[in-house]
Amino acid sequence: MLGKLLKHELRATSRYLLPIFAILALFTVLARIVLGLEILDGDFSLIPGMIMVGYVISMIAIVVVTVVVLIMRFYKNLTSDEGYLMFTLPVKPSQLINSKLIIALFWSILSLVAVVLAILVVVLTESDMETIILGFRLIRDQISSEFKGYSTLFVVELIILTILSGINKILHIYASIALGQLLNGRRLLGSFGAYIGITVAIQIIATVALLISGNAIDTVGDFTTILTVLFPIVIISLLILNGIFYFITDYLFSKKLNLE
Amino acid sequence: MIINMNTILECNQITKRYSSLTALTSVNLSLGRGKVIGLLGPNGSGKTTLIKIINGLLVPNEGTLLVNGQKPGPETKKIVSYLPDKSYLPDWMKVKDAINMYQDFYENFNKNKAYEMLKRLDLDPNRKLKSLSKGTKEKVQLILVMSRDADLYCLDEPIGGVDPAARDYILNTIITNYNENSTVLISTHLIADIENVLDEVIFIKEGHITLHNSVDEIRSQEGKSIDTLFREVFKC
Repeated sequence: MLGKLLKHELRATSRYLLPIFAILALFTVLARIVLGLEILDGDFSLIPGMIMVGYVISMIAIVVVTVVVLIMRFYKNLTSDEGYLMFTLPVKPSQLINSKLIIALFWSILSLVAVVLAILVVVLTESDMETIILGFRLIRDQISSEFKGYSTLFVVELIILTILSGINKILHIYASIALGQLLNGRRLLGSFGAYIGITVAIQIIATVALLISGNAIDTVGDFTTILTVLFPIVIISLLILNGIFYFITDYLFSKKLNLE
Repeated sequence: MIINMNTILECNQITKRYSSLTALTSVNLSLGRGKVIGLLGPNGSGKTTLIKIINGLLVPNEGTLLVNGQKPGPETKKIVSYLPDKSYLPDWMKVKDAINMYQDFYENFNKNKAYEMLKRLDLDPNRKLKSLSKGTKEKVQLILVMSRDADLYCLDEPIGGVDPAARDYILNTIITNYNENSTVLISTHLIADIENVLDEVIFIKEGHITLHNSVDEIRSQEGKSIDTLFREVFKC
């Protein structure tokens, strides 16, 4: 059933997101042509100028639109009248959450990849490519010399951290919407309130934790300590936080669903 | 509690409280198979709350509710076909998208039956739901719900917002599309229109079940129609 949910989720979100990806692709190609022709400063600079502005705007838009579409999809599909359909499908609420989480993660990563590609395609010449490869080598060498035998661990931990904090951002919003729907007639306001409330709570807890462990921070200057102590602590904290967000969302949708 | 093989729904002391009011109070109810049952009561009497609990959209504060011997969950949702009192289909979908979605998720959904009913209504499956009138949208929803070969149909106010001609269509669709082993639970406050298709009636008043009996017995005992009895019981 998860497969079917994923299929429907992908279809429902593609409707909005594919066009904006197509627009970015179009502007990227046009911008590349404009830069290649070197007509930006000529007498007919208006149209090339507009193309460059469109290129920049579509890069910003793809990130903003992706976030807005994913949030609205979750909100509308599960807490509005559409919830009557979704919550009477023969699936568990956790399967609904999983399908939305996976597709949201997929689009988030894709939108970031699209922006990076859009920049590379426009600015890249062959010599740039060599410089970039050289740069990557330099970074790699830097990592291996700084972290000595720990460079693989560093890369693995960095990837895990990136994915976990991506999931964290998404689940934070899901939990806020699940809390917000409890407020009859003020669901959206309730969701915003819950989001801010959770953010403040996490900040307070993090600050207290930092104060308590204040002395330990001084020793963090050592890179091996970062890799073997600090990163694992952050990873575990994220895992716990994600678990709490997931539990809140699943519990509220299973036991306290409040459709109008 | 004895689970009877012929029982599709069993409510035992169901109580549901919202923050400010009690919607259902100690409801006991047992529904047999192969019946068309009217859940009758005025607005706010608890009809929708009961139907939502049957479909797992609400969890009762007290008591247990079993559908085919199981608590509401994925297993019961497979055999219960539910028509909410809402436009619950995403309006960007085409009619055929909604049909495909039902086909994907419900094993007991009969696609051909749905297309046949659409054809009889002269409705193009490529139309977007957004472009349909409210009444037509309700008919599409009913077609989806009745194209499932379910054990229990829960129809919440299926004739609430439509004209008399559409009412006839809806009632006709309901009674011609369920099989002899399945039960149809119809909630409504428009009794005269559906009285003739009902085998049993349940009267619900302020969260209490005040009457549950077969239509024939009520008629012979009370000597009056359900509609007349309803008007007496629920007199303001």
